[in-house]
Amino acid sequence: MTRHPILPSSSLSRRSVLRLLGAFPAAAAAATVVSGASRARAAATGQLNIYSWPDYFSTESLAAYARKTGVTPNIATYDSDDTLFAKLNSPAGAGFDIVIPGSSWIKQLAARGLLQEIDHARLNLGSLDPNLLNRGYDPGNKYSIPKDWGLLGVVYDPQAVGGEIKTWEDFFKAGEKPDVSGKIRLSDSGWETIGPALWLEGKDWNTASVAEIRAAGARLKTFAKHVKSFSGLDANALANGSIVLAQTNQAKARAAIGLNPALKWVVPGPTSELWVDNYAIVKNAPNLDQAYDFLAYQLQPDVQLAETQYIGFPAALAGLRDRIGADVKNADLIFGGKDLDFKALTSFVVNPQTVGTYSQVQAEIQAAAG
Amino acid sequence: MVVLSSISRGVEPAAGRSGRRPMPHPMDHVLAAVPVFWLAIFFLAPLGFTVVFSFGHATFGGVEPGFTFDNYRMALSGFYGATFARTLVFALSASGLCLVAAFPVAYFIARHTQRRRNLAIGLILIPYFSSFLIRVMSLQMLMSRGGVAEAVLNALRWHQGPLDVLDTQTAVFIGMVYAYLPIAIVPLYVVLDRIPGPLLEASRDLGASRWRTFLFVTLPLSRPGIATAALLTAVPMLGEMVIPKLLGGSRGVLMGQAIAAQYLQAQNYPLGSAMAVLVLVLVAILVTVLARLTKGFAEVGR
Repeated sequence: MTRHPILPSSSLSRRSVLRLLGAFPAAAAAATVVSGASRARAAATGQLNIYSWPDYFSTESLAAYARKTGVTPNIATYDSDDTLFAKLNSPAGAGFDIVIPGSSWIKQLAARGLLQEIDHARLNLGSLDPNLLNRGYDPGNKYSIPKDWGLLGVVYDPQAVGGEIKTWEDFFKAGEKPDVSGKIRLSDSGWETIGPALWLEGKDWNTASVAEIRAAGARLKTFAKHVKSFSGLDANALANGSIVLAQTNQAKARAAIGLNPALKWVVPGPTSELWVDNYAIVKNAPNLDQAYDFLAYQLQPDVQLAETQYIGFPAALAGLRDRIGADVKNADLIFGGKDLDFKALTSFVVNPQTVGTYSQVQAEIQAAAG
Repeated sequence: MVVLSSISRGVEPAAGRSGRRPMPHPMDHVLAAVPVFWLAIFFLAPLGFTVVFSFGHATFGGVEPGFTFDNYRMALSGFYGATFARTLVFALSASGLCLVAAFPVAYFIARHTQRRRNLAIGLILIPYFSSFLIRVMSLQMLMSRGGVAEAVLNALRWHQGPLDVLDTQTAVFIGMVYAYLPIAIVPLYVVLDRIPGPLLEASRDLGASRWRTFLFVTLPLSRPGIATAALLTAVPMLGEMVIPKLLGGSRGVLMGQAIAAQYLQAQNYPLGSAMAVLVLVLVAILVTVLARLTKGFAEVGR
């Protein structure tokens, strides 16, 4: 689920550092204290409290919004959907207006009564890509509006791999080759590592039983000896050849290909993941009108374009590809390649019955690699 | 706090010898109350919740109160039991390595720096002014392919070609020793500095070689420092998450990661709590053992 782009120029980009600082408990605790205090004052004046991934809004759009309305959104950050869930699920989660949950957690957040239904009369979703609306994780977009999206795919060095990768079977086969073994990066998310093995057996990762997940995980545990890393992927590691085959998202792949054009990106068959990060409104949002006003602002095509350029993942605007200028390098990669088939993509939905199994098997896979 | 007070008793022999205690001033109680309240609210209360949670039944993202040992059974069996054992071995060996590296440095500062002592201590502590995370990230850049370490090793002809040390257990150990070295050096330095010179002279006068003096005088007298340094490094290492992630490619899961995964990914608070309590028990055992090692130390004065 490491989905955030690192700027191609350096491994120690501002974003990656911020993200790590966000992951650091002390920093998180400090941020909580500060934001908690400011949130308490929020409701009185025109304010807006957003809880989001770090650096997930264009600073220019935010500044423009502040000029227009006089409201500068307060943004607190988290480093994983699990953290978002845990916080909203606790008293510390009070006072937020807008959160940006991933598609996988919307159902659980809604089931817990932590989100409120979106009043579609107040927002026009007509400009958004129909491929990203009304998906299985939130039918009718009752609780969520797509913000931006990404894929689980593979970036690889064709020379080391010795051919083309088209399916997840090719991926696993390639990993066993002597030039590739030990230079592989897998995701740190259980469903993203085990999912490919399930798909190859024709199973759905959302309906697979505990036994089926364990069986598919066994394949990964055998494969683990070839894996070098499960941590966040550094585009430089791909560029300098210390990693030659990696599960990752399209933005990270684009950064790596920008550094080393010989690398290739593929969304392997038969199935792969589409994740969508969404705008959602918190149950007892203290600044509801401001939240709707901000969302309407964010959904404007110009703002969507600015967001895409800033965060490196495509906003949900329909026809966005045609608005990207010819001067943007590898622009198709922002959208996961030229001929991406949305029908072959599936979104994970966290299920309390199986999510513990995914997590535990992932730990076992990582341990097997040690 | 328990840790520090039990060990520092050994480091400060003066307290044991003075015999008479001054009458406590009323203000002392007020001063003592502040940290007690702080600890009660921010340490004991959460700890109490953790213990209660650890006996409860898991609901997704919640806890049903109850009394069951199932969580402990699960935390100690199979994969998690093995993780627990591996974490212990890992922390003890990394801590041991840290001490081995720290002792000569502390010895040198205590015996051979004279007037430049503050400078030496300063140089050891300066890295602490920057964030732990930044230091580990820097280490990651140094050790990566095409990094400084590779260039230096190649120039010295100790290594040929690209250096692939990142994302290995070696890198994790390097990171651990680097990150925790100063907290091992300082207590060792303090205790070595306090060993009276006349004792060493006496040993030499009685015909002991430098080595025997070190073995039978210096080393036994530095026990409290060794115990403190071992504790201050091993305890945080038991819960270390960042270094394995940044330098070890998250391979070979340790307890810190396992607990975080239970709390967040699996939303299984009782199992995560049981694991956390077990780590705490382990720490308590470590403290007891090390306090034993330094017992009776107050009698060895200057």
